[in-house]
Amino acid sequence: MKWNQLSGHRRKDMMWSLLFVTPPVLGFLIFGLAPLLTSFGLSFMSWDMLTPAEFIGLDNFSKMLDDEKFYKSLFNTLVLLVGIPLGMICALTLAVMMNRSLKGISIFRTIYYIPVISPIMALSLLWQWMLNYDYGIINEFIWKIFGVQGPNWLGDPNWVKPSFILMGLWSGVGGTMVLYLAGLQAISSTYYEAAEVDGATRWHQFKHITLPLLSPIHFFVVVMGVIGTFQSFSQMYIMAVDGGPEYSGATIVFYIFQEAFRYFNMGYASSVAWVLGIIIFIVTLIQFRFSKRWVYQD
Amino acid sequence: MLRNKSNWGKMSLALALGMSLVLSGCSSNGNGGGASSEPTNKANNAQTGNTDKGNDGQKQENPADGSDIEFMGWGGDSEKAVFQKLIDSYMKKYPDRKVKYTVVPPGEYYQKLETLIAAKKTPDVFYAGGAKFNKLVSSDVLLNLEPLLAATNAVDPGNVWKEALDRYRFDGKLVGGGDLYGFPKDVGPWAFAYNKTLFDQAGLPHPSATAGEYTWDDMLEAAKKLTVANERGKIDTFGVAGFSLESAVWANGGDWVDYTTGTITIDTPEFAEAMQFVADLSLVHKVSPSPDDEKAQNGYARFVAGKIGMFPMGPWDQPGFWDLPFEWDIAAWPASPKTGKTATWLGSLGFVVSKDTKFPEASFELAAYLSLDADSQRENYTLGQAVPNLIDMAKGEFLAMDKAPQTRQVFLDIIEDYGVPTIETGSKDVKWLDTFWQDASQVWTGKVTAAQFLKEEQPKLQKLFDEGNK
Repeated sequence: MKWNQLSGHRRKDMMWSLLFVTPPVLGFLIFGLAPLLTSFGLSFMSWDMLTPAEFIGLDNFSKMLDDEKFYKSLFNTLVLLVGIPLGMICALTLAVMMNRSLKGISIFRTIYYIPVISPIMALSLLWQWMLNYDYGIINEFIWKIFGVQGPNWLGDPNWVKPSFILMGLWSGVGGTMVLYLAGLQAISSTYYEAAEVDGATRWHQFKHITLPLLSPIHFFVVVMGVIGTFQSFSQMYIMAVDGGPEYSGATIVFYIFQEAFRYFNMGYASSVAWVLGIIIFIVTLIQFRFSKRWVYQD
Repeated sequence: MLRNKSNWGKMSLALALGMSLVLSGCSSNGNGGGASSEPTNKANNAQTGNTDKGNDGQKQENPADGSDIEFMGWGGDSEKAVFQKLIDSYMKKYPDRKVKYTVVPPGEYYQKLETLIAAKKTPDVFYAGGAKFNKLVSSDVLLNLEPLLAATNAVDPGNVWKEALDRYRFDGKLVGGGDLYGFPKDVGPWAFAYNKTLFDQAGLPHPSATAGEYTWDDMLEAAKKLTVANERGKIDTFGVAGFSLESAVWANGGDWVDYTTGTITIDTPEFAEAMQFVADLSLVHKVSPSPDDEKAQNGYARFVAGKIGMFPMGPWDQPGFWDLPFEWDIAAWPASPKTGKTATWLGSLGFVVSKDTKFPEASFELAAYLSLDADSQRENYTLGQAVPNLIDMAKGEFLAMDKAPQTRQVFLDIIEDYGVPTIETGSKDVKWLDTFWQDASQVWTGKVTAAQFLKEEQPKLQKLFDEGNK
């Protein structure tokens, strides 16, 4: 429909709606699309921000194939994915426990949710202390309960990633729990009643009713978890200075950050960022493809 | 079909989300790993300085009149206060000139600077040091100060440490000689401090302040006697901590890189011997905190707690050490018994001028003023922030100062005699050096010997060095 075909009052409506739509669209164009395109262009260039950018074709990408730190940080990031199923198990268990009308249950729900809304920088500093080799509260517990010296969490290359997974569990479980709670409450009680009549045990009910009916939530949590893990940065930046011992704590985004803002290899950093973007895209695509087989939608 | 479509919608949403977070996420995170972790910056805590000897004659007919200069630096509140004072007095001296002073947190400084340069909004006068100075000067961003220096009698280069000025010279290829592109903000001699009280209690002779007299063997012997375990068997007081690998390697005749040929030279027996010596202080002799010990409580915290016999310090550590409940002093770094020589690093940060400044004279004079003004140099050393840039002041009133360390001459010896510019000074890009320090942890933890490690590391570093420093 053309502008001049609209009635005066419709035209006014249209003008207002355009006015409201403009800021976010402009915001996206300037701060979303423009950097996106720029970084795409930069990924084929060599640019240190001081001297003019130089077109180098696919050199950045071929350099990546031969870059030890790129592989190391990619590997570290993949290892962190282990935290996702662990987090789901913990969150679901918690959600099931919280899904009852007990007095004061909302207090517990709030407590578990607090880490989700706390700033990650503060949490990282907190965990850095908790994980301290000599004085940390975690090793103190291990000593008190098992009588052995706990691991050097952030100092031993083999323990850095488990440390991040542990911290991720703690800080992420609340958010996932809330999603599961919503999912649980949406399941109609008629299913359970029918199952009970048929003689299903509690476990059977959980396995054959609860779990499958929560599958859209599982799916959402997995997809967002994978994307989030691929993008993890802040905790590494605080807790694994310079990538941690033997670069064992550096994630791919941390690596991009270092290349861009420590060494000012903007072109190379952009190309790694695009490779990461493509990896995330492919992984997400695969998840969506497989989702048809197991995600239940009514 | 419809279902498929909506899946595509979800997918492209996920993609857009993922991409835009990944790609723009980096830039919104402003905390740089840049500046503060470089060794030079250890040297950069200090405050200011400068000279108003000059320019008194020429007043109004100066082309710098009406100039509006931007000056950018980093630092905390105390540094900011000192500089603001200095800038105010500069503006008082030249009422026609305006200086706009911007302070950036150290961690974000170089990000901000490079962004401004890329946007063609380079400040007129700003801080630069170490590898960054090298990178900036070889990217043709800085103003050659040589013609301005020749035209003025305001600055007397003869009264400024040659070692400090040379850090800001560039001959078109290498830093260290040629024309002047900056003035030193400070020089940071990395000295060797010891806890006098602990030495006296153990009845040990104090390490000598004269270079070459006190060797690694002497130090090790003393360290063994100073190291004490507590009743639970855990070492409570260590003989030495933070022994500088640079010092050991240079003293032993090794080096990281030959900048004239661009060759990484870590795979030499001298280097391996020195590195193994430093590693063995903790691994074999147990007289120095292990990496795990350091993680729990670092050497600095242990030293100020009186639990370390010997520990490195820079001039900027003085105020913190003045309040300590024990006596301390500085000595020459222990010499390698093989060569009889000693060495340590000499840090520095400088004031440089943008090549694109509209007010070269005024900017040059501001840089010189900040660097060499006698009053602020005096204030700086009195506060225990730095060694004066002015030689007559350093050798006169600074030496006579009635505060620890007693043998302040050591600072001057390092500057004039055995101080070596920090490793990165000759590099434009420090990725190779960062990688070295990261990978070196295998030696500190005893996973591999120094010789094995260095042999495997050399080709890797050479590749990184070539990539970043062509």
